[in-house]
Amino acid sequence: MGERVAVTGVGVVAPTGIGVDAFCQALRRGRSGTRPITAFACDGLDTRIAAEIDDAAFDPAAFVQPPKLLKLMSRPATFAVAAAAMARSSAGLGPEDVDPDRMGVCLGAGGMGPLDLDLLAVQAMAVLDAAAGQAAPAFDVPSFARAFRARSNPLSMLRGLPNLAAAHVAIQQGARGPNSTVATACTAGTQAIGDAVRTIQRGDADVMLAGGADSMINPVGLLGFSMLGTLSCRNDEAETACRPFDRHRDGFVIGEGAAVIVLERESFARARGAPVWAELAGYSATCDAYRITDERPDGSGPATSIRRCLRDADAAPADVGYVNAHGTGTPMNDRIETQAVKSVFGEATRVPVSSTKSMTGHLLAAAGAVELVACLIALRSGFLPPTINYRTPDPECDLDCVPNVPRPARFDAALSNSFGFGGQHACLMIRRW
Amino acid sequence: MPDDPTLVGREGVLGLVRRSVAQVLMVPLERVGPQTALVAELGAESIDFLDLVFHLEQGLGRKIPVARWGSFVDERLAGQELARAITTDVIREFAEREAARD
Repeated sequence: MGERVAVTGVGVVAPTGIGVDAFCQALRRGRSGTRPITAFACDGLDTRIAAEIDDAAFDPAAFVQPPKLLKLMSRPATFAVAAAAMARSSAGLGPEDVDPDRMGVCLGAGGMGPLDLDLLAVQAMAVLDAAAGQAAPAFDVPSFARAFRARSNPLSMLRGLPNLAAAHVAIQQGARGPNSTVATACTAGTQAIGDAVRTIQRGDADVMLAGGADSMINPVGLLGFSMLGTLSCRNDEAETACRPFDRHRDGFVIGEGAAVIVLERESFARARGAPVWAELAGYSATCDAYRITDERPDGSGPATSIRRCLRDADAAPADVGYVNAHGTGTPMNDRIETQAVKSVFGEATRVPVSSTKSMTGHLLAAAGAVELVACLIALRSGFLPPTINYRTPDPECDLDCVPNVPRPARFDAALSNSFGFGGQHACLMIRRW
Repeated sequence: MPDDPTLVGREGVLGLVRRSVAQVLMVPLERVGPQTALVAELGAESIDFLDLVFHLEQGLGRKIPVARWGSFVDERLAGQELARAITTDVIREFAEREAARD
């Protein structure tokens, strides 16, 4: 058994709050971050709501030096850089406190934000240009290339590369150790944190900045998820659209943002007297190996992941005082997740299982990281974040989902679930230090 | 020739270069003078020159041959040199076009 891994810093850029204090307040108040979309006109789309980061409250320039690097950052990269800066600051980890070669970065990433759409627009316009004047328009590469060259800034591509968020965090933080990006969709943030734990455990780093960042609030993201039938269409009731575990849940709401935590090897954290939020005690990552979007009907996929996470933490189900659910609010996820929790914790389990996605929306590759932050805040502040918008019980989701109002609770361990398209499942467990 | 008549002549092109440099490197216009070294003083890196040329081409409405700007991408690059090269190029093309018209 190696050294423990400590969480020593937390940074979050969430639709419900930027920074730990604001995010904590929103969790305590059960505040929804979902609104009608402001980033672009969405007439003609079936889903016109999302949980956006309020640009009036978030200034990426405050976190980026030199400022010119901003033009190379996708929207999620700006969220990641800001969350990492906040996390580093809260850990009190100064430039002299760590050998840059012993500090790494691992992020879950994937999407592009609304401001990155110029690349998509340029591609679309280039296709139109290339087709113009043709009797029977067809995609023609030489014409497309001419039109694309005329319109596209040569740097546009750099904003779209998913690994660049982790690169920007490394540049801003001077982290020259291991640097990787996890692309397992909605599981990515959780897996990135878990992989960072392993990086420390195997001795490749003393400090890891780990988390996730994403934004798919753009017409392509909205249309794509919408055509898969996964999004809530309650456009006229934005704040109450996302209803995890409710009988009338009709899908998830896309959110955007980032969370990054600072992880440190125990002896390293102790030697510098670091503030410790919790132990990052367990991690698992598995795959259903079944179908792309369907879960095995018995819930055995996520159940396996939960069991392995508990085993990794050398913990029993009874040790867990709170579960932060994947809880997307799609009809299938919440039913299968309920079965999985019951199969591990017992048919009559009373373990509280809430979905903070009811407030934040689904942050996709950032979801697991933001939700682990919710667990850390809950453990430290002694309350359970609620599942808001819960009205009508569903017999197939008969867990204690902490309906609508936060609940004071002292507990010593929390589990966070993340499941992705493709059948990838990952869990993290934190424990009081 | 560019559509914008204010770009005609060396001063006009220098103005475009200064504005483009300021925009690309996200620095105040006042920091970009004719003798400013883009790398040493303003921290330009290789891809910033790609971005700069893109902005200049958009502003001038014409292509800048890669060979012409590529030779300026080094530590000694000053805004003036690039402006002079572009100005010379633009004026020559204008003169050639006028000559062809006669």
